[in-house]
Formats: sequence, C-alpha cells, structure tokens
Amino acid sequence: MRVPIEWLKELVSFRAGADQLAEMLTNGGLETVALPDEVLEVDVLPNRADAWSVRGIAREVSALTKFKINKAKVKIKETFNKQVKGTVKVEVRDQELCPRYMARVIENVKVGESPEWLKKRLELSGIRPINNVVDVTNYLLHELGQPMHAFDAALIKDQFIVVRRAKPGERVITLDEKPHELSKETLVIADPEKTIAVAGIMGCANTEVSSTTRTVILESAFFQPVSIHRTAKQIKTRTESSVRFEHGVDWHAVEEALDRGAALIAELARGDVLKGKIDTAAAARKERVIELRSARVNQLLGSEIPVGDMISILNRLGFGVKKAEGSKLKVIVPSFREMDIEREIDLVEEIARIWGFNRIEATMPNTAFPGKGTDREDLLRQRLRETLVGCGLNEVQSYSMIGPKEFARTGLSQEKAVRITNPLTVEGSIMRTNILPGLLNIAVHNQNRQVENVFIFEIGKVFRGKDERWLLGGLVVGSPFMSALDKGAADYSFIKGIVETLFRELGVELPKVVGSNSFLLQPGKGAEADGLGVWGALHPTIQRNYELTKPAFFFELDLDALFKLVPTGKRYQQLPKYPSVSRDISMFLPAGLEHQQIVELIERTGGDLVEDVYPFDKYQDSIAYRIVYRHTERTLTEDEVNKRHQDVVGALTTKLNVKIR
Amino acid sequence: MREKIEQLKSAALRQIVAAADLAALEEARVRFAGKNSELTALLKTLGTLAAEERPKVGALVNEAKTALEAALTEKKSALQQTAQTQKIAAEKLDVTLPGKGLKRGHYHPLTQVMNEAKNIFIRLGFEIAEGPEIETEYYNFDGLNIPPHHPSRDMWSTLFVEGGQLLRTHTSPVQVRVMEKRKPPLAIIAPGRVYRRDYDATHSPVFQQLEGFLVNKNVTFGDLKGTLTEFLRQMFGKERNVRFRPSYFPFTEPSVEVDVEWEGKGWMEILGSGMIDPNVFKAVGYDPEKFSGFAFGMGIDRIAMLKYGIDNIHLMYENDLRFLEQF
Repeated sequence: MRVPIEWLKELVSFRAGADQLAEMLTNGGLETVALPDEVLEVDVLPNRADAWSVRGIAREVSALTKFKINKAKVKIKETFNKQVKGTVKVEVRDQELCPRYMARVIENVKVGESPEWLKKRLELSGIRPINNVVDVTNYLLHELGQPMHAFDAALIKDQFIVVRRAKPGERVITLDEKPHELSKETLVIADPEKTIAVAGIMGCANTEVSSTTRTVILESAFFQPVSIHRTAKQIKTRTESSVRFEHGVDWHAVEEALDRGAALIAELARGDVLKGKIDTAAAARKERVIELRSARVNQLLGSEIPVGDMISILNRLGFGVKKAEGSKLKVIVPSFREMDIEREIDLVEEIARIWGFNRIEATMPNTAFPGKGTDREDLLRQRLRETLVGCGLNEVQSYSMIGPKEFARTGLSQEKAVRITNPLTVEGSIMRTNILPGLLNIAVHNQNRQVENVFIFEIGKVFRGKDERWLLGGLVVGSPFMSALDKGAADYSFIKGIVETLFRELGVELPKVVGSNSFLLQPGKGAEADGLGVWGALHPTIQRNYELTKPAFFFELDLDALFKLVPTGKRYQQLPKYPSVSRDISMFLPAGLEHQQIVELIERTGGDLVEDVYPFDKYQDSIAYRIVYRHTERTLTEDEVNKRHQDVVGALTTKLNVKIR
Repeated sequence: MREKIEQLKSAALRQIVAAADLAALEEARVRFAGKNSELTALLKTLGTLAAEERPKVGALVNEAKTALEAALTEKKSALQQTAQTQKIAAEKLDVTLPGKGLKRGHYHPLTQVMNEAKNIFIRLGFEIAEGPEIETEYYNFDGLNIPPHHPSRDMWSTLFVEGGQLLRTHTSPVQVRVMEKRKPPLAIIAPGRVYRRDYDATHSPVFQQLEGFLVNKNVTFGDLKGTLTEFLRQMFGKERNVRFRPSYFPFTEPSVEVDVEWEGKGWMEILGSGMIDPNVFKAVGYDPEKFSGFAFGMGIDRIAMLKYGIDNIHLMYENDLRFLEQF
C-alpha cells in the first residue's frame, strides 16, 4: 500500500523523515520502504487489516512516536425538506452475511473531474482518478480502509435495494466487463429486477455512476469476511474492496466513511445530502474486553517492561485500559482491532512490538535438552552420500513430481502413482514413483550441453499409493576417471562395485544376487537383490527413448528396506593367530555357470577352513580362483590343506562340470 | 721387478679409468686386483727375492694394490653415479600431466547448507524428526491455527493431490506430529522438502526447509532471540548484525522475522519465527499456561543462494554438472 507522507501528516504530526519513518514502521512490524516523491510503500501483514489505510498507518506512527492522532471533524450539511427514508428502501435478507448496511442519498450532483489536490493524492497512492463521485469512494477507502460503492439511483428500480444471496447459477457482468456465475454462497446487492453488485467485490455496469447521474446512493457496509473471501476466490476477482472486507473492516468506520463520503461528494459535485441515513445494524456492537496479566507479559517475553509502559502502549494503540485486581488489567479492544485482537497473547504481541523486539534481552533457554542427537536414518543417508561422493558420483536434487511422459518413456507403471489435482504444469503433475526418471532427465540435460561423463545420484522420497519411502538412485555414463588419458568407461562391473561398496559401508552383507527381469534393465546385464534394489545396464529402448547417445548404467536401492538390515553395535573380531595357506585353481567354465555358484560350492565343500575365495584372473571362458585356508586355533598341515583342496576340486568337476586346467 | 710392478700398475690404472661401464670395471678388477691377477702372482714370488729386497718390493706391490683399489672404488662410484644419472634421465616424466584416479563427486549445495544448519542445532542440543511430504489438511493447516476459509491460508499456494491430501507447504506439520506423540521438554529440528504452487526466478515448486521448535516450562521470547542469534552467528559469522522484526504467522505469537545484514544488500530475511501460539498447544493437548516455546523455519535454498551468490533458484534443480562441480 502506498501512503503519501503529506496525507499522513494531515492525520498525525511527526517529525521523522521518510527513511526514518520507514525504519521505524518496519521495526514495529509493518515492512516499509521510502519511495521517491515522499511516498511510503507499506507491506501490510494479513492479520493487520486495521493498518490497511492511511489512518491505520497514522495510528501506528502515533503509537510508535507518542504523537497524537488528529481527529477529522465531519461537517455535513443535510437538506431540511427531504428524508432518505421514503426516498430509498433497503432490505437485508441475510443478516449473517451482511450485519450492517448503511446508505445515504446525494441529489443534484454534477459528476465531473475531481480537484487537483485529490487527484494528486490518489495518483501518488497508485489509484487512477475517474470522476468526483467514484474518486471520493476510493479516497476514503484509502484513508479509512472502508470500501463504499456509489450507485446511480435512477437506474435502481423503485430505488429499492435488496441484499440477498445469489440464486444458484445466477449470472452477472461486473464493471470490468467480466461475466460470472454465482452460487448461493454469494451475497449480492440487487433491486427488484436485477443484480447491481457482487457485495463487497465489484459493482455492475447497470447502475454505474456516469456523467448523466443526478442522484447518488452511497453504500457503506460490513460484510462477513469469510463469505467475501470465498466469493472472491470463486469468481477469481480480488479488488481493493474485497481484500478489505475479507480481512474485516472497522464497524464504526462504516458510518464515519459514509458521512465523510456524503459530505465530500456534496462539496466536490455540488450535491445535496438528504436528511438522515439508513442503518440496518441490529444493535449497538458490544465491546470486547480482554483480561491481561501484566506478569504474564514479562514471563512470556523474558522482559521487565513496567506496567505503566504496557498501559501507555495499549492506550497509544487505541485500547482502553482499566486496572483490575492484582496485576491484572482489563483491556477494551477498539472496533478497528476486533479482527485480530481476541486473546491475552494478542495483547502480549502488541506490547512487545511497540516496546521493541530489539530491547528484549537475548538469553539461552534454561532447559534440559532431551536430544538424542542425530537421527539414525539421517546419519545413514549421510554416510551413503559420503561413500557415493568418494565413488565419483555427484549428488543431484530433482523435482519430486514428474509428468506422464516420463512414465511412457521408462515404461514405469502409473497404477500406484499419486496425481496432483492442481499442477503448475503437466510435466509436474504426478509424484515420482522412482528416482530413475529424474536421473535420466539430468543425464540428457548434461549430454545436450556437451557434458560427456555423467556420474550422479539422488537420495529422496518416492510415492506409491499411500506408501512414501526413501530411495537411492544412481546413474553413470562415460569415463569415471579424472583424466581422459585413463581409458575405459563405466560398465556393469563399475555399477556393481558401487552397490557392493554401499553394502560394505553399511555393514550389510550383499544378499544372493540374481539376474533381473526388470524392464528397466538390459536383459543379461542387470541384477537384483531381493527387495533391496536393482542395478545394471539401462535397457537400450529406454536409452533410445531419452535420446542418450551413450550406454548408461544405473542402480536403485530401497533405503527403508536396506536400513532395517544395518546392524547396530559393531563388535571387533580377533585377528588371526595362525598362518593361512593359499591354493589356486584354474578352470574352464561351462556356458552359463556363474561366479556366485562356484564360490558357494567352494565355501560349502571347504567348510570352516575356507576363509576367503576370490577370482584373480579371467580370460574368455577360463578363470582362476584363489582359496585361502586357515584354522583359527592351530597351524594347518600341508596334508590337511591338500586333502581339503582335493575335495574342493573334486566337487567343482563333478557338480559344476568345470574342467580344471 | 720394480719395473714390472710399475707397468702393471699403470696398465691397470689405464684400464680402470677407461672402463666404460661397471662390467668393464669388474673385468679390470679381476684382471689386476683379483685372486688370480698378476699382482697377486707377483706377491707370491716375493720368496724368490733377496731378503733385503723383499720388504721393499712387498711394500711396492701393496702400494700398487692400494692405489688400484682406491681407483676401483672411485671409478665404481663414478660409474654408479653415471648409471643412476642415466636411469634418472631415462625415467624423466612430464610431471605436469594429469593425475590418475576416479574423479571425486560433489555434494549438492543444498545438502551442504542443510548439513551445516542441522549440525549447528544438533550441537545446541536439538534432535532430528521427520514427517511425510504428502500431508493432511489438518497437519498442514488446521492443527497450526490456520482454519479453513481463513485468508491466512492464502499465504501458502498449495498443491493438492487426489484424495484430498496435499503436498506439505512447510515443515511445520512435523511440530504438530511430534507434540501429539511426546511431552515436553522438546528441542526438535525437522529438515525436508516442501512444495508450493509457485514458479519464478526465486521460487521453485520444490524447495527445502529446516524447521525447529523448543518447548518446555518458562521458555521465553528472550530464549528465542538467544538461540537464533547463536545459530546465525555460527552460520554466517559473528560479525554480522542480526535484526528481529515483528511479523505474522498464524501458528506463532508474537511472530518475528529475523534478518541478517548482508554486505551491499542491506537486511536479508533469513528465517521466520515466533512463540508457539496457544491454539497450537491446545490442539495437541498441551496446557499453554504450563508450557511455552518457540518455533522457527528457514528456506535452505534461499540461504544457499545468498551464501553462494546464486540468483536463479532453478539452477539448484536443473543439476547441470558444471554447476554442481563448483561445490
């Protein structure tokens, strides 16, 4: 909101310059910057409807500076011979949505341009002048925060105004020439024949004030905030008027604005104000009284604000204060703060902000921290990140929402996917069920920018039906080496090496690995560990769908499942006391025989004596294994080892059909 | 005899000096100073000489032998030196060529900033809690004193999912979830992804927040100031000015915006905070007369952008490796 300083000075005297004023208001809770031309730009918080006007800012300045508010006197000259009653009739059919509707009538107006001083104030405030009648309503909206509407009385059938709910499906065209379909939740202003305004939001062209208007009906009302908020959202129309009403206007300013408006229109458009005014308010508004314990204020703030200062602050903000028993105060809430001041805590905030947050001493909490420190899973995720960064992978973060295109390109099922009902774009309309699509998009993005080697991983949540879980995905393309002089590209063994490293880091034994049938993987070049994840070469079809020029390898691990297997309480194992003996076997492999089967058979046959088995040489269909034998309690004899090794060799030839070289 | 010795000696010295390599030197040693060398043979013939000649000739032979050995040692050392020099010359490398090994990966800048912030609070005694990213309206709004149809709901542009749930717009639902399950004292931080229906140079529909709250008896607004000042000092440096400015959030009162002074940019908003609203306590069954506390939340993306001078938030989620490898 823009506030010309000259206008503000009319309402409150103060000595501060624009920058000083801006800083003071900001520290008081209204973020303000000083613009050129002696204008302030104030960002009014949503709970401070009371500050949404020049007068509201003036009250704030008064509270902060202790300068008094200048009360404007309304000088209104009414005609003697003609009454509002008898000229205009108002019927409010829904008291709940419209607890107060007021109107005045101004006859013989000459609609024309506003005087310079008014136009200038409006323009500095960012409001376009229209004509002297409409400008008066905008002027008072800006000064007092009370929206009003002026109707051309001649265009209202029988000068009979009905305030009612819209008929379901009722159609109106508002002043901005936009058509709207209304629901029965919407409050409208109507005459016996037609709707003439969407209450609190915008009038209709059918009763607009124009150069031919002679008689003006000026409306000033209090509409129920929730209803206005709902309608403004429904018909997608937010106006200066609607935002005021939805945050709640000042009950008493409804009348004040009406009187000032009538007087100003009479003055500027040379009209005659009819005697009296219409007011549909059921009864006088009851004042809200809140009990405030002054000790509680200091207890919550950790401050030592004297009670006298509390009272002074509240008075400056327009609250009435009476002393009650003990250290208690009875605080009377002014009508312009009814929307946000309901409880003791609201008063605590008022006192704190005017006293100054920066005057309250900073302390450290005198509390026992029950903290168990780091979260186990958070820590495990961090360890995985460390490991992967060490393996040469860069951490990425991609959106959690993807588009249907990604499901089509990868072949992932949308069956359990969670859809966003109001997405920003189609590309971000479905919650991801896997990390892979995000990784593929990042790989393509980089490839298309001549980044040839892409080594990436992401740890994040995926969403499948009601299930929300942590996944780790990684994708590699190209050379993992620092220097291009070192030849070789990431391949299946590279990606499996990463998976093995991750399991080792977590202290989880890699379970039995089986060839994977996943449609994401190239058949014969991918594997999985039951329920924990998959890894291998990306299926060539997906590679083509994403237009990746080089083969990619990826892995995806279910961290929720994996972390359940992470052992706690690591124990040290004694170092071996007796020497080991190694034996090597070279063999030709029959087609289809897997490394894992050989190791399993050697371990089973060799029993306790086998400490380690590993391949150390491989060429085409020939492979050599080293078996390390060791006894934990004594030194093995040559004979013992030979005998056991013969058993192993025998088993390999008879059970797996290998040919020993 | 003397002549013979002199001849042998000078012939030997010549051959030693002339030796081109260690093998030639060894040949010279065997020939002139070995067990079967002529010099050794001469020593054996000493007995045939006259008694008064023997010591003189003996001394001469020994002298020649010593000279030869000295020459041999010297030559050997020289040759070894030459050989090493040649070897070194042959092994000379271009030491400026690139090193060998796997390229190292990089942490995402958001992870780095998040870890830094998390660790400060953990050192202060806070513990980590997490909550779901697909939330109910209750935990995201109602439980936080944001009633339906209240204009304050418009402070968050929300993405909804099928079935009436939503993508959490802040990490504050974790507050409610933790307080429902546990009793004070509590000192919790909740890091995580949050979602808004926003997109421009400084707003991404996905971003990261770090939420925190502390609840116990007699927690004051002064404690809020103290704790957050300590955090900001550790995060941004002791010399920076910090400003606490009144603000509005439905779930705190008094509410505060905390700014840090940034060279050349003035005050930058870093986090929102406030004393937990009594209505939030009531919703979880705490007695607001008995307990008080403060809560705070900050955007990690925003802090990372400030810290590294990044002007476009989308760089964070585009994941261009030329960007990521700078961190």
